[in-house]
Amino acid sequence: MVIHWDKQRFWGLAIIIGLLYSCSYKQEVDFNTQVRPILNKKCMSCHGGVRQNGGLSFLFPEMALDTLDSGNFAIVPGSPKKSALIQRVNELDAELRMPPEGPGLSTDEIRVLSDWIEQGASWEEHWAYIPPDRQLEAPLVENIQNGNEIDAFVISKLDEYNLSPSPPADKHVLARRVSLDLTGLPPSDTLFDSFINDKSADAYEKLVDQLLVSDHFGERWASFWLDLARYADSQGYQKDNLRPTMWMYRDWVINAFNQDMPFDQFTIEQLAGDLIPGATEDQLLATAFHRNTMNNDEGGTDDEEFRVAAVLDRVNTTFEVWQGTTISCVQCHTHPYDPIKHQEYYGIYAYFNNTQDTDKTSDEPNALLLSQPQKSIKNNLEKRINSLKSDQDTLSFEYQQAVAKYLNIQPLKVPVMRELPADSSRKSHVFVRGNWLVHGEEVLPAVPDALNQSISSTPSDRLELANWLMNENNPLTARVMVNRFWEQLFGRGLVETLEDFGSQGAFSKHQQLLDWLAIQFMHGYDWKLKPLLRMIVLSATYQQSSAVTPELLELDPYNELLARGPRVRLSAEQIRDQALVVSGLFSPKMYGPSVMPPQPEGVWNVIRHRARWETPKNPEDQNRRALYTFWRRVSPYPSMITFDATSREFCVSRRIRTNTPLQAFVTLNDPVFFNAAKVLATSMLESSEDLENQIRFGFQKTLYRQPTAEELDTMSALFRQTVNLYREQPEEIMALTAGYPEPTAEIAATINMAVVLLNLDEVITKG
Amino acid sequence: MRLLKELFNRESEYLTRRHFLRQGSLGLGAAALAYLSGCNKHSSSLESSTEIEGFANLVPKAKRIIFLHMAGAPSQLELFDYKPLLHELDGKPCPESLLEGKRFAFITGVPEMLGPQFSFKQYGQSGSWVSERLPHFSEVVDDVLFMKSLHTEEFNHAPAQLFMHTGSPRLGRPSFGSWVNYGLGSENDNLPGFVVLVSGQSAPSGGKSLWGSGFLPSIYQGVEFRSQGDPVLYVSNPEGVPRNVRRVVTDAINQINETAYQEVGDPEILTRMAQYEMAFKMQMSVPQATDLTDEPDYIHQLYGTKPGKVSFSNNCLLARRLAERGVRFIQLYHRGWDSHGSNNFENLHGGFKERCMEIDQAMTALIRDLKQRGMLDDTLLVWGGEFGRTPMQENRQGSSNPFKGRDHHGNAFTMWMTGAGLKTGMTYGETDEIGYDGIRDRVHIHDLQATLLHQLGLDHEKLTYHFQGRDFRLTDVHGNVVHDILA
Repeated sequence: MVIHWDKQRFWGLAIIIGLLYSCSYKQEVDFNTQVRPILNKKCMSCHGGVRQNGGLSFLFPEMALDTLDSGNFAIVPGSPKKSALIQRVNELDAELRMPPEGPGLSTDEIRVLSDWIEQGASWEEHWAYIPPDRQLEAPLVENIQNGNEIDAFVISKLDEYNLSPSPPADKHVLARRVSLDLTGLPPSDTLFDSFINDKSADAYEKLVDQLLVSDHFGERWASFWLDLARYADSQGYQKDNLRPTMWMYRDWVINAFNQDMPFDQFTIEQLAGDLIPGATEDQLLATAFHRNTMNNDEGGTDDEEFRVAAVLDRVNTTFEVWQGTTISCVQCHTHPYDPIKHQEYYGIYAYFNNTQDTDKTSDEPNALLLSQPQKSIKNNLEKRINSLKSDQDTLSFEYQQAVAKYLNIQPLKVPVMRELPADSSRKSHVFVRGNWLVHGEEVLPAVPDALNQSISSTPSDRLELANWLMNENNPLTARVMVNRFWEQLFGRGLVETLEDFGSQGAFSKHQQLLDWLAIQFMHGYDWKLKPLLRMIVLSATYQQSSAVTPELLELDPYNELLARGPRVRLSAEQIRDQALVVSGLFSPKMYGPSVMPPQPEGVWNVIRHRARWETPKNPEDQNRRALYTFWRRVSPYPSMITFDATSREFCVSRRIRTNTPLQAFVTLNDPVFFNAAKVLATSMLESSEDLENQIRFGFQKTLYRQPTAEELDTMSALFRQTVNLYREQPEEIMALTAGYPEPTAEIAATINMAVVLLNLDEVITKG
Repeated sequence: MRLLKELFNRESEYLTRRHFLRQGSLGLGAAALAYLSGCNKHSSSLESSTEIEGFANLVPKAKRIIFLHMAGAPSQLELFDYKPLLHELDGKPCPESLLEGKRFAFITGVPEMLGPQFSFKQYGQSGSWVSERLPHFSEVVDDVLFMKSLHTEEFNHAPAQLFMHTGSPRLGRPSFGSWVNYGLGSENDNLPGFVVLVSGQSAPSGGKSLWGSGFLPSIYQGVEFRSQGDPVLYVSNPEGVPRNVRRVVTDAINQINETAYQEVGDPEILTRMAQYEMAFKMQMSVPQATDLTDEPDYIHQLYGTKPGKVSFSNNCLLARRLAERGVRFIQLYHRGWDSHGSNNFENLHGGFKERCMEIDQAMTALIRDLKQRGMLDDTLLVWGGEFGRTPMQENRQGSSNPFKGRDHHGNAFTMWMTGAGLKTGMTYGETDEIGYDGIRDRVHIHDLQATLLHQLGLDHEKLTYHFQGRDFRLTDVHGNVVHDILA
């Protein structure tokens, strides 16, 4: 089967190549899309950033055009014949031909290189290193109804492929989609009903605006951010000691999203809040972002080695999150494909190398901070004490008690960033071949030249680095972030490789749209997320139906062109939260220490450090959003991992969605989900005496729609079958419905209907 | 122009298995179960395994691996690497030359040398040295290959274990078993392709990351078969849901999903339907595979197993059962080998002796049992720790530990292997007179990994996954196949 596919693919490609060149011969050769991929694939491994055999590198134009060790020139602009590059790829002698191994270049590849040299061998800057054009306007497209500029970009692209957009999604589908996207939860009954019953033209817009002001908005987007921040409640490595106060940072993130803190401020406070003059407690707390690095407390480990590992992680994370630049390979050598030099990595390292933390179990330095509840208790006590004082009641028991309580409030120690004093600052060196023990030349803080061309100033410290990232001329930050938000809604970025905007990253079908959105985010909305998301979800593109025809699926399997709406499986967090919401178990309590919902015995036995998993007795804390679940790096919550959540050891831009039988076990058998099914069944039974109405109720609860006649038949048949099966096995009824006043086969059958509902693809998926 | 862009876009996506899997589901109109449904079963046949270009590109000798990891690192000097000179040096201060520029996990100052704590004899036609601690194993030495000069850079447990099982001392890389399943696909359609069994005092230091899938899709991660409770988390139906009810429930789910597929055309729905079927099958196959009670008495006697107990013996027998059922990578961990001498558990004459008794009969039985079933022909069996131990008695803060014990040591240690195209009845590599350094045929962990992959038909330089801008491998940028040990 696989061989087939490969062959088909091969011939498909061959035909496309053939067609292409028969039509495009003698056209202007495009460096980025035509030449660079050949060089990257066929030449760079020996003539790139890692190796420069024969004195040749194609990474930097000045090196590619320079004299070779042999005295010749690889590229003589205007003259393919004089160019050693063309001679060597055409060489018949196997000893001399390039590339030396594997098949040589195809005639078409050689023709591209040769035409390019003939046309002057101009080196085009990689698109993502050129700032987006502020003057960029949406194309003029006829017949846009109910759309915005996003749709103009999308439709003009679809026109190129002779495609038209899909019809709008049904209202109930759309309500569920947008609610899951903006708040991470399915819509509340009230919100849903008022939307469905609202026949006005702006009903959808009203729904969106209500979702944007919901407190759940911050929770949903915090979930997204915490993967990038590699937030966890433990330190990682062998002992994986707990970090029992790190949730303070998680709450900071929730608040920041709910307040729609502009993204530049959001960035600067997290990367360098401690360096802001007169930093507030909240700004200090924000810097816990980079204290989410791991600590190693295994006996015999070298603290300095793991301090360095943490600093390296801060470099890698910062550049992955804000610059979509995969820089970890530059730790050991110059980037093989992108123009970033080995020593430039350590220029960035120098910004992060002067904090006080040194891989200590205590996570020092810590800030002493009061949590939200502590603050309000403190305020109340202050008021109480003052009023008692003014009543001259200072000798009373009540007064004494209040003062004692007041004095007893212990601030929490939260790990934060703190710079070393100038006189004890560390020097930074290149690590030769990435080995932290082998120091090369000393380096000063600096950003890579390739990313600094449009700004041309060198930040002097971490705070300036944060400002540099948010500079309006930084070519990457806005694009990278907009792309991340887009991916959260559509399941795929406009650039698929969220983490790599370098030359090895994916090409985008909608680069202009991406650029336009980036400009809007920066200048139209002053880095505010809510209006950006509002614009995207109000586009007709977003509101399309996600149904796909076989033809369209063949042409565009990943929906890169956007001729249909998004259809993606819910995230691990959303799957749990949804089951709790639709069954009515959901506890909306926000903030505070991470909680331990039910988990099978023994899951934590795998860890050396003997902290215990203790499930709270009160349902309020058992049934909270997944976001609040205790995140232990060495043993994350099983149902979350099964649905592709990460262990939060490192920054992860994309969770790769899988589809496995272990996931079925979770939604069928995990007590959290089975309990949700039982509770849902109870509401179905209470909704009506009539089976059909009960089924209707269940569909409405889980899918926000009525069942089709066929679905009604399937469910009724299931009900009859299971009732019969249970009547034959009455002991199973007792086992299942223990605790019910009157156990019956009908109750048992209804619970199983509810299990079916919670396991439907349409429920697990955002349609 | 756009066709070209399209072309190159596809080109950049090429060869990532994830895309391959997704793509595979499209044209078929059936589930994309190249991995889980075992639909690339033919890849396990010994004749050909070339269907994924660049991965399975060698003639495979082995279909599967059983890896017995002795977590904590057993002392090679008390088991296989016999050094009579250490008897003479016992109690003498360690020469400066061995300490210069060297960093140990715990040893500080000048420690004393420590002689072999147990007596050794030569066994079999090969004349292999084995200590008195492994009487059963000494009978099968001609069936295994000893490697005595393994070495690693890591001298702490968690990083060294990660190094052994992910090729990197840091967290976040895919594990050996994940790579193998990524490269070869599954050989069965009702069990995971990578199963982990844990026994001994708690779990290995490296934790679950030792069987994580790192940046590979989570479908490739190891599934721990737990010794108590559900063997696989949530595999059992809840109380009051009998199997016949679950059958009709699964049917109803899939019936409604099928109509959804007709309506929206998303091939993921078909995959999900197949996964629900697979889950239903696994509910039978997992308990069947893990139920040791159906083994005959002589097998229990051979292994020393007692059904229901958490033990290395039970896990060895279970490993054979899983191997029979087509599980590709079976990883056992047995913990408690960290014989520093700081307490009786870490005493060579205490905990170490007990560990030896726990493994001796069972691992010997596993060799014999695989052999008698003809399974050694296509199964690799590997035994070893994450590093070795020093020829010196461990001292901390300048004084010797209260019990006999040795510190961590990565310069030289012993592993044994057998099966699937390996030479047997021989010893490869040699250490110096005190077992401090390898002096001949040294084998690095990356070489070991490259060699094992080679036996599975995988070229370690071509088994790659593109992540964060580069192609990653199990062997990083190192590793040479040790051809000398291949039959």
